[in-house]
Amino acid sequence: MELYVPILVLAVLAAGFAIFSLTIAPFTGPKRWNRAKLDAYECGIEPTPQPVGGGRFPLKYMITAMLFIVFDIEIIFLYPWAVAFDALGVFGLIEMLLFIVTVLVAYAYVWRRKGLDWD
Amino acid sequence: MNAIRVLAAPEPALPNVQSFGHDPLWITIIKAVAIFVFLLLSVMYGVWMERKLISRMQHRYGPNRAGKFGLLQSIADALKMGFKEDLYPSKVDRFLYAIAPVILVVPAFMAFSVIPFGPTVSMFGEQTPLQLTDLPIAVLFVLAMASIGVYGIVLAGWSSRSPYAVLGGLRSSAQVVSYEIAMGLSFVGVFLFAGTLSTSEIVAKQASGGTWEVLGLSIPMPSWYVVMLIPSFLIYAITMLGETNRVPFDLPEGEGELVGGYQTEYSSSLKFALIQMGEYVNVFVVSAVSITLFFGGWRAPWPISLWEGANVGYWPLLWFFIKLVLVFGGFIWVRASMPRIRYDQLMAFGWKVLIPLNLAWIMLVATVRAFRIEGADRTALFTIAALVVVGCLVLFFRFDTVLQRRRETRAEELKQEFELLEEQPAAGGHPVPPLDLPHYHGADRKEISSGIH
Amino acid sequence: MGETITFWVLAVVSVAAALGLVLSRKAVYCALMLGVVMGSLAVLYAVQEAPFLAAVQIIVYTGAVMMLFLFVLMLVGVDSTDSLVETIKGQRFWAIVAGLGFAALLALAIGNVAFVRPTGLGGATSQYGGNVQGLAQLIFTRHVFAFEVASALLITAALAAMVLAHRERAKAKPTQKDLARARFAGPHPTPLPGPGVYARHNANDMPALLPDGTVSELSVNRIIARHDVQEGRLPEDPRLAEAIRQAVEVEEESK
Repeated sequence: MELYVPILVLAVLAAGFAIFSLTIAPFTGPKRWNRAKLDAYECGIEPTPQPVGGGRFPLKYMITAMLFIVFDIEIIFLYPWAVAFDALGVFGLIEMLLFIVTVLVAYAYVWRRKGLDWD
Repeated sequence: MNAIRVLAAPEPALPNVQSFGHDPLWITIIKAVAIFVFLLLSVMYGVWMERKLISRMQHRYGPNRAGKFGLLQSIADALKMGFKEDLYPSKVDRFLYAIAPVILVVPAFMAFSVIPFGPTVSMFGEQTPLQLTDLPIAVLFVLAMASIGVYGIVLAGWSSRSPYAVLGGLRSSAQVVSYEIAMGLSFVGVFLFAGTLSTSEIVAKQASGGTWEVLGLSIPMPSWYVVMLIPSFLIYAITMLGETNRVPFDLPEGEGELVGGYQTEYSSSLKFALIQMGEYVNVFVVSAVSITLFFGGWRAPWPISLWEGANVGYWPLLWFFIKLVLVFGGFIWVRASMPRIRYDQLMAFGWKVLIPLNLAWIMLVATVRAFRIEGADRTALFTIAALVVVGCLVLFFRFDTVLQRRRETRAEELKQEFELLEEQPAAGGHPVPPLDLPHYHGADRKEISSGIH
Repeated sequence: MGETITFWVLAVVSVAAALGLVLSRKAVYCALMLGVVMGSLAVLYAVQEAPFLAAVQIIVYTGAVMMLFLFVLMLVGVDSTDSLVETIKGQRFWAIVAGLGFAALLALAIGNVAFVRPTGLGGATSQYGGNVQGLAQLIFTRHVFAFEVASALLITAALAAMVLAHRERAKAKPTQKDLARARFAGPHPTPLPGPGVYARHNANDMPALLPDGTVSELSVNRIIARHDVQEGRLPEDPRLAEAIRQAVEVEEESK
């Protein structure tokens, strides 16, 4: 518990600074209303009323995000293993080898199906 | 062979996780304010240093009007941003649009709370380590803060409701997420050596590398992990560019295609200043982590470390600061010399090169480390080591042959195409004048001079 | 003392965020509220002396919430709100079953704490020399089977991602060379005319005027033209309006 108090202090300082600058910004700056200035910036053309495709985005990003979770969990397992490596010994090494090889099967499959290609 | 052992026990003054959490509140506040002010100044003079250094690399002078050597340039810029109009574009989601820079900045500052700046010193009569706090999982804390910071970028993009901003935000989320895996994997080697996740203890472990006694000789081993784990460090160095959206991985704000990326709609005012600050603080965080994990933290480098007072008192602050400036200089050097890479190349590099290389390297390090364990089964270990090496080699040669075959077929295709084009010039689709036109004499005829020259 | 304060503050925050998650109409806000709930849980874990669990909670769940966020962007769109039509059959029934199951689990856990004297996490992990080391000892010795099975679960997740979200290309992606070749083989080797110096407006949603004063239909940006026609924002000049309408018609015929 005591270990976290300093983090809280620093967070309060940083958040205070950030929110302070957000709140004073409207008062320090001028205000000159102009409709074009408040439009979304699209290189000078009239802003498209709705993003292309109804605002949907390609599923490409989805695969990356899901694979990220898979690998993230793998890494999370690697950390305690690495820290306690000396205590776990050869058995731990074999376990982790098996685990990584199993996850690599999924990785190879995704690669083979071109899930890692970005075009 | 198994005689690698740690020579000297760490000096008693070295802090570990148990040395934290005993400070009175006023010491904590002093340290927090010091870190906060240090970061604010670092951002200001980091910007100045970046502009100055990159200018010299491009044969320019850079800022030199405001103050001596342009030293006041950042202050002038900050003041200017404060006095500009605070815009809320008409379509934005006002709450998230305002809060996104805060989400970007605050975790970046928080990550600095576990960075060790020095050993235990006496501050106004209190014994306290030069580090705000330490956790048993300090490095993970930095990773967690980095992954919260991404939300700032994504939300800034989403709440702006502008195609460029949304695309920039999504790009950066995919990129940061991909490079975070490689980054997380490159830490594993360090944890294998250090046996702890706490930053102060990792620095303490890099105090001396011990000796390797082989054939009666005792060879002193290097103490910084950057030497022993050079592949891990190289991968970390690449991912830290990717994590912080710096050149050559600055695609989320690639001005050639996305104008300003996720910050397109943050055109001026202090919100923009906050975003910039968040980015720079993030750069300092990853630099400080690289120093802590690979460059011995605040410990003095070799020739200086021969002096006994080098790692005592407030001197380490200076070594840490010099290392930070050097690593940040590396960022600028890369920016001056590398072009931006293409997005598909970026993702392919992260997923297909960095991750498998990293996993193979971790397994190799782990196997070698296992030989050190007392009472380990040698035959089993040798079998595993052989399996790992053979597995890696098989995979590598499999790749090599596949690539070789692909290259050969490609060369064959090209050759055929050239033959075809030589016979029928128009087959390529390009409008090529027929070679037998009357005014075209062909290459074998000598050119007739007009006689004027 | 500090723990009690943290608990009560976070209890309010996380319950409020959970309510917001259920009640908010905007899908993106729901995802963010989930992030807040997970963050509060992480802080509670940290306060309960489980730092590793706290860090993992943040690292994994930020990724997971990010995925949800992207999912929203992809399936619902940037700006849309929830529709309240239930599409899963028997959703309410199964939701009630799941809720009862969770309640039973919770009752068992609380009963366990009430009747058995807890050792405390610090006491339980001190024999291994720390929280992370203790966790490693348990995962990699006592629960080794579960750990290996987790890898199979990860395979399933990767497979699911591929099945749900990946579409393999039927034919290879055209290279720059193919595109250049197609352009030269087609009717327009040169770029289409832009608004040009003869345009009488400085925006590129206006068709260009050719040197002889006629309107160039080729110069009309198809996407902008479609929006213009749909929303009736055609220019006043009948010739320009005609050109834009023509461009949209040509576009629709070619589909």
